[in-house]
Amino acid sequence: MMAILSLQGVSKQFGETQIIRDVSLDVEQGEKHAIIGPNGAGKSTLFHLISGRHPLTSGSIYFRDAAIHNRPPFEIARLGLARSFQVTNIFPRMSVFENIRCALLWSSGYRYSFWHMLGRQRGLNSRAEEVLEQIGLRDRHNFPAGELAYAEQRALELGITIASGADVILLDEPVAGMSLSEAKNAVQLIRRVTEGKTLLMVEHDMNIVFDLADRISVLVYGEIIASDTPEKIRGNRSVQEAYLGEVVTDA
Amino acid sequence: MLRHVIIWSLFVLTLLVLPQIFSSILAISILNQMAIAVVFALSYNMLLGQGGMLSFGHAVYFGFGGFLAVHAMIRIEMGITVFSVTLIPLVGGLFGLLAAIFIGSFSTRKAGTVFAMISLGIGELIAASSLIFVSFFGGEAGISGYRDGGPAFFGIDFGQDIQVYYLAAFWVFLATLFMYLFTRTPAGRMANAVRDNPERAEFIGYSARAVRFITFCAAGFFAGIAGGLFAVNYEILTSENLNLIASGNVLLMAYIGGLGFFIGPMVGAVVLTMVNSMLSSYTDLWMLYLGIMFVLTVMFLPLGLTGLLMMHNLAWRLGTLRSLFVPYVVTGIPSAFFVLAVIAMLEMGHTTNSEFVYLGITLNPEGAGSWIGLFLIAGISWLAIRRSLPRLNEAWSEANTVKSAKPGGGE
Repeated sequence: MMAILSLQGVSKQFGETQIIRDVSLDVEQGEKHAIIGPNGAGKSTLFHLISGRHPLTSGSIYFRDAAIHNRPPFEIARLGLARSFQVTNIFPRMSVFENIRCALLWSSGYRYSFWHMLGRQRGLNSRAEEVLEQIGLRDRHNFPAGELAYAEQRALELGITIASGADVILLDEPVAGMSLSEAKNAVQLIRRVTEGKTLLMVEHDMNIVFDLADRISVLVYGEIIASDTPEKIRGNRSVQEAYLGEVVTDA
Repeated sequence: MLRHVIIWSLFVLTLLVLPQIFSSILAISILNQMAIAVVFALSYNMLLGQGGMLSFGHAVYFGFGGFLAVHAMIRIEMGITVFSVTLIPLVGGLFGLLAAIFIGSFSTRKAGTVFAMISLGIGELIAASSLIFVSFFGGEAGISGYRDGGPAFFGIDFGQDIQVYYLAAFWVFLATLFMYLFTRTPAGRMANAVRDNPERAEFIGYSARAVRFITFCAAGFFAGIAGGLFAVNYEILTSENLNLIASGNVLLMAYIGGLGFFIGPMVGAVVLTMVNSMLSSYTDLWMLYLGIMFVLTVMFLPLGLTGLLMMHNLAWRLGTLRSLFVPYVVTGIPSAFFVLAVIAMLEMGHTTNSEFVYLGITLNPEGAGSWIGLFLIAGISWLAIRRSLPRLNEAWSEANTVKSAKPGGGE
C-alpha cells in the first residue's frame, strides 16, 4: 500500500529549542491515524508543519507525490489536505452558511472570481446546505458564527475543514473542552464526515483515540517512540512508561 | 429578487428627482459634491468595512484618477485624443486601478498596522510629490481643463452644472451597483473572510494577500471613478485632493455613516457633505464640530448613523417603536439644550466681538452673566439627561423584548 502522506526526517527548531526531532511517519490512504503524547510533546507543531503554517528546519513531507514542505498553507489546502484547529478558528462576523460556503469556494473552482453571483450558484449553495445538514447546524443557517455555542462552533470548525472534500483531514484535538455527551456526538460526527477519507488526528482523550483510530503514533519530546495498532500501543512497555502510565509525573 | 428591483428603482428615482426638488444653483453644486463623495466613500468601505484594511491614503487613488482625468480633458480640448467627456470618469477609474495595482502589489502583503502605516507613508509621499512634479500635478495651483471641449453628447456639452449632475448620477448608479454586486461574488465574500480571519482563509485555499490585493484594486478603481467625476465637476485638481486631509475625510464619511452596512458610507457621504457645505457658511468652528461628531460616533455609535437606524429594526418589527417616542422626547429635550449651550460657549470663546447674537439672543462674551447662565443651562440639562437615561434604557429593553406569542401562555 502506498502512503498518501509521508514525513521523512522532519525536524523543527524554534531558536535553540528543538521541538520536533527527526520524525518519520507514513500515513496510508484511508487510514485513521491518531497522534498522542504528553503536553508539550510537539503534536500541534507537527500539524503546523504538515499544513504549512510553519516552515521546516529540515526533512521533507510528501502528499501523494508532491513535496509540500515549506509551501504556503493555501497551496497545500488546494492539493486536498484540510485541517482544523485546536482553538476554534472560524469567520466570526459571517453567517454559519457563509462560513461553509467560503470553505467550498476554491474546491468548487471559483478561485478569485468577481464575475459569479454567489446567490445564483445552485450547485454550490445546495452543497453548502448539505454540509450544514451533516454537521447539524441547519437551524443556525443565518446565525453569526461568532455567536454560536462552543460545541456548535466546534462543529462548524469541523464543517469548514471537511467542506472542500479534501482527501486527507487533520484534526487538532477536535473534542477538547467538550462535555462528555458533546464529545460523544462529536465522535459520531467525525466518524460520519471522514468516512472513506484519511484522518490524522491529535487527541488527548484516550477513549476517543482508541475508539476512532486504526493506528496510533506516540510523540514524546518531539520524537515518535512507537507507531502501531491500538492494541499493540496499549501493550507497549516504553509507551506506558513515557506516557500512558506516568503522564502525571511527566507534566 | 423583487425586493432588489424595488430598492434599486427607488435609488434611480431618487437620483432623478433630487435636482427637481433642490434646483437652486447652490443645491445642484452640493448634489454634485454628494455624488462624488458617495462613490468615494463606498470605495473606501470596500477596503475598511469589507476587506478589513484601514487606509490613511485612499485619496491617492481618487487624486491620481482625477489628475489623469483632467489631463485627458486637456487632450480632448486640444484635439489630440477625442472622445466624449461622459467617459472621463472611466478614465479616472482605470488610472486609479493602475495606481492601486502598482501600490497594492506591496502594500497588501500584510493587513493591520503594517498596511495602515504603508498607506500613510504612500499618502504623504504622493502628496509631497504632487508639489514637486509640477508638469504633471501643476504644483500648488494644480491643473485645470475644460469639460465642454469635447464632442457633444446628444447635443449636451456639459457646460451647465445640472448636466454634470445627470452625468454624475449615471456614474453613481453604475458604480454603486457594481460595488454592491462585488460583495456578492466569491472575491467579495472572501474579502469578508480574510477580514475576519486571514489565517483560516489560507487553510481553505485562499491566499489572504491575493484576496486583499483584488479588493484593494477594486477600491482603487472606484476611487478613481470618483476622482474622474470630481475632475468633470470642478475642472481642476490640486494637491489638496490627494493629501492626507482628503484621505482622512473619506475615512470620516465611511465611519460616521457606518462601516457594517453597504448603505452606511453613502449616508455618511451625504450627511458630511451637507455638514461641510452648510455648517462652514455658518461658523468657523465647523471642523471642531466635525471632530466632536467623529469622536462621539466612535465612542457611542460603533455602527455609525446607519447602525443607529438599524438598531430600531427589531422594535419596528415587534410594533413597539411607538413606546420609545416619549422616552426619546424626555431625553431629547435636555440633550438639545445641553448641545445648544455648549455650542454657545464654544462660539463665545471663539468670537472677538463684544456682542454675540445666538438664536436671537444677544450674549456678551466679555461679561460673566452670559457665561454663568450658559453654564447653568448646560449643567441642569446634563443632570436632566442623567436622570432620564435609566427610563430610556428601560423602555429600550422593554421595546426589544420578544414576547412569547403562545395563546394563554401567561407567565
